Amino acid sequence: MADVLYIEDDANDADIFSRLMQKLQRPITYTILSSGAEAVDYLTGQGQYQKQITPLPKLLLLDLNLVGLSGIEVVQRARILDRTRFLPIIAFSTSDNPSDIRSAYEAGINAYVVKPGTYQATGKLLSRLYDFWLENNTRIDNK
Amino acid sequence: MTLSNVDLTNCEREPIHILGSIQSYGYLLAILPDTYTIVHASDNMADLLDISADQLLGQSLGSILAKTDLSVNALVELLNVGRRSGSWDSMNPHQFVINEKAWNLIIHQHNGLIILEWEPIGDHNPLRNQQLIAQALTEVQASRTLADLLQNTAQRVKKIIGFDRVMVYRFESDWHGHVIAEAKEPHLEPYLGLHYPASDIPRQARELYKVNLVRLIADATSTPSRILSQPGWPEDHPLDLTHSVLRAVSPIHIEYLKNMGVQASMSISLLYRGELWGLISCHNTVPRFVDYPARQAAKFVSQLLSTALEFRKDEEDQSNLLLYRQHGQYIHEQLLIDENVVQALTKRSHTILDLTKATGAALLFNNHIYRLGKTPSEVDIRALADWLKASDTETFLETSQLAALYPPSEEFRDIGAGLLAIVLSKELNEYVFWFKSEQIQQVTWAGNPDKPLTVGENGQGRISPRKSFEAWTQTVRNTSEPWSEAEVSTVIKLREDVLQVITKQANEIRVLNQRLQLAYDELDAFSYTVSHDLRTPLSSIRCYSEILLEEYGQDFPPDAHVLFQKVIDSTERMRALIRHILYYSRMGRTELNTEPIDMRHLLEGIREEILVTAKDRSLTIDIGDTPPITADETMAIQLFTNLLSNSAKYTRLSPEAIIHVTGKQTDGEVIYSVEDNGIGFDMKQAGKMFDLFKRLENARSFEGSGVGLAIVKRIINRHQGKIWYHSEPNRGTTFYVSLPIATTS
Repeated sequence: MADVLYIEDDANDADIFSRLMQKLQRPITYTILSSGAEAVDYLTGQGQYQKQITPLPKLLLLDLNLVGLSGIEVVQRARILDRTRFLPIIAFSTSDNPSDIRSAYEAGINAYVVKPGTYQATGKLLSRLYDFWLENNTRIDNK
Repeated sequence: MTLSNVDLTNCEREPIHILGSIQSYGYLLAILPDTYTIVHASDNMADLLDISADQLLGQSLGSILAKTDLSVNALVELLNVGRRSGSWDSMNPHQFVINEKAWNLIIHQHNGLIILEWEPIGDHNPLRNQQLIAQALTEVQASRTLADLLQNTAQRVKKIIGFDRVMVYRFESDWHGHVIAEAKEPHLEPYLGLHYPASDIPRQARELYKVNLVRLIADATSTPSRILSQPGWPEDHPLDLTHSVLRAVSPIHIEYLKNMGVQASMSISLLYRGELWGLISCHNTVPRFVDYPARQAAKFVSQLLSTALEFRKDEEDQSNLLLYRQHGQYIHEQLLIDENVVQALTKRSHTILDLTKATGAALLFNNHIYRLGKTPSEVDIRALADWLKASDTETFLETSQLAALYPPSEEFRDIGAGLLAIVLSKELNEYVFWFKSEQIQQVTWAGNPDKPLTVGENGQGRISPRKSFEAWTQTVRNTSEPWSEAEVSTVIKLREDVLQVITKQANEIRVLNQRLQLAYDELDAFSYTVSHDLRTPLSSIRCYSEILLEEYGQDFPPDAHVLFQKVIDSTERMRALIRHILYYSRMGRTELNTEPIDMRHLLEGIREEILVTAKDRSLTIDIGDTPPITADETMAIQLFTNLLSNSAKYTRLSPEAIIHVTGKQTDGEVIYSVEDNGIGFDMKQAGKMFDLFKRLENARSFEGSGVGLAIVKRIINRHQGKIWYHSEPNRGTTFYVSLPIATTS
């Protein structure tokens, strides 16, 4: 199972993310899913993931503005289930609208990060995120 | 008795219907209806029948009268007919010859007794009376002015009864009287137009006038004849003379007549809808008897007048109502056309002053006062409005004695003794007022109010009716003519019309608000799209440019490097612009969460941020006094960040950039100034500085979107604050921001 699960429906953003991951040259595995519905199936072992018993990622990076099931809804579903209730979820969004930030926290995210919008800044940001969430953060891991 | 404790109400207390005597020109017997036994007799009966009253009492009518040459049978027969028919009017007067002299007998039944009254037959000509009545009828039918009709009635009555003076006397609502028509002998002083105090004709006298429509005092100087009662007749049963034609006159009234030099008087009641509205009051300087048929003729003429008046008064009321309604209708139309309350009510050809008989009117609307005609001052009107607001008046107030409700109005009683007011909105303090002047100014006094009281021969002071004007003056002080129903109903209708227009306008605003809400929602969606959908591809452009430079930059010619840098800078500018536009739109409507703000902390935070980005140049940000402000914290940060970073930006060319921020607290506000030594600007150009996307000429070389100061202005507006500036080209700029000190809520 990957360390980082990234839910992003914008192909460019996903591509830039992948490039940055390679550039980081750190032993971090990741999976990118392009829709909220697929993310929920993945986390709950349903649909195309029915047969796979996958361990949870150490960190979920979640774009909020998704086509179909929104990021907020993904958080709400995750927080209902015992398995994913304490999964670290970071909202990773273009929006800095206070109302978006508020509703994301209300749904149960652990942190909110506004996409910096530049390649270099995004790279630095990801590096800092991994330092903390993958190295320093202690999780409760359900099997 | 001293002058000060004269009892003004002694007239009111006199039991004038049971005075126990009659005027001496006539004779009276009262008999029991069943047995015709005499139970009361006037003391002077002996003059008529040669039998003393004492002897008559307790005897049967027949046995007594048999001794005279009065026809007993005829009288008993008459009584029997009257009793059987239950009506006496048709047989009055009945002529009897007694002791070879003809008398008119007038019979009525009252309070369990039949009362017989004999009075002389006058020298009148019945035919002439009929002619006069016919003429009167013709006149009433002819359409004349009310004043003419009254005047001619006075003449006609004078002709019938032959008195020196005949006045038509009208009661006002407070029962004071007013002479509205007069026919008199040329040598007499005219009384027309004079006013008399209400106490001249006391309440119980007015009640009698309603019952007994004609009243004659043939000789005020004569001595009345007492009425004797059958021995053993209960003392608490004095004869009730309510319907008597001979009833004696109250001593007070006799004195009243003497004061006026009158020895004979006659009055005929004028009723309007069963209520006394006036009298035909007749005076003669010497005693004069008017016989029954002539009195009846005069009464008939006055009844004709009363009837005519009912119609005329109804017509007058009706035409007043129609007139006011018509004006009300015009104003309503003006309201519908203008939809501007002030204009429609006070500025067009028809105004609120046309809606009543008021001498002045005022509109208090939108905190402005509009006055028409004679009104109190603006200050007085505002005070009146404050009082009305505190009162329990919800729709309208009508009073002809404003000072009794609102004492300060005594100051302007000459123009505002009476008030009619409608409430448009208590919350917004909006009213319409109509004023009527004090009535006393229009009154010509009968008699001299300064004349002292008369003191009777016995040394007892008694108020003389014609001298009680002063008292009357006291009672009508601060009183206006009353407001008619037509006036009140017209202004209540106006209130409805105005409120309807106001409600309509409010509804239109509500619809506009809904549309505005809709527009805001759309703008919200738009903002979100801008924030996300535009920023996302912009980030891609930016990121891919960076990737290209980073991964393939070593193969690019130098020119390509420069071009890529331009792409990156452009994306940066666009990002900033999008961010600013979003802030600007958000500042307009997000809720204000005002709280006291620690300004030192806030300003130091901003300074730190700015210094980080300006670390390659010499920039000092000096923070002086920092009194706290009460504001929305997010907006306050935005406000001061924009001001300080503007200053930082426009001092970039200065070798030693210095920005000085300081605040001071004054009465009711906190003023912050942000002073810099930057490029400054020409004040003449600065008019549009706060407009969105407007930038000044000399700022062209500086990066900026033209949104920053527009955001600042918006934040200031949201906080009911002010912003101004002072600047000179190349000598720096100072911005001043003032925010009101929040009152503790």
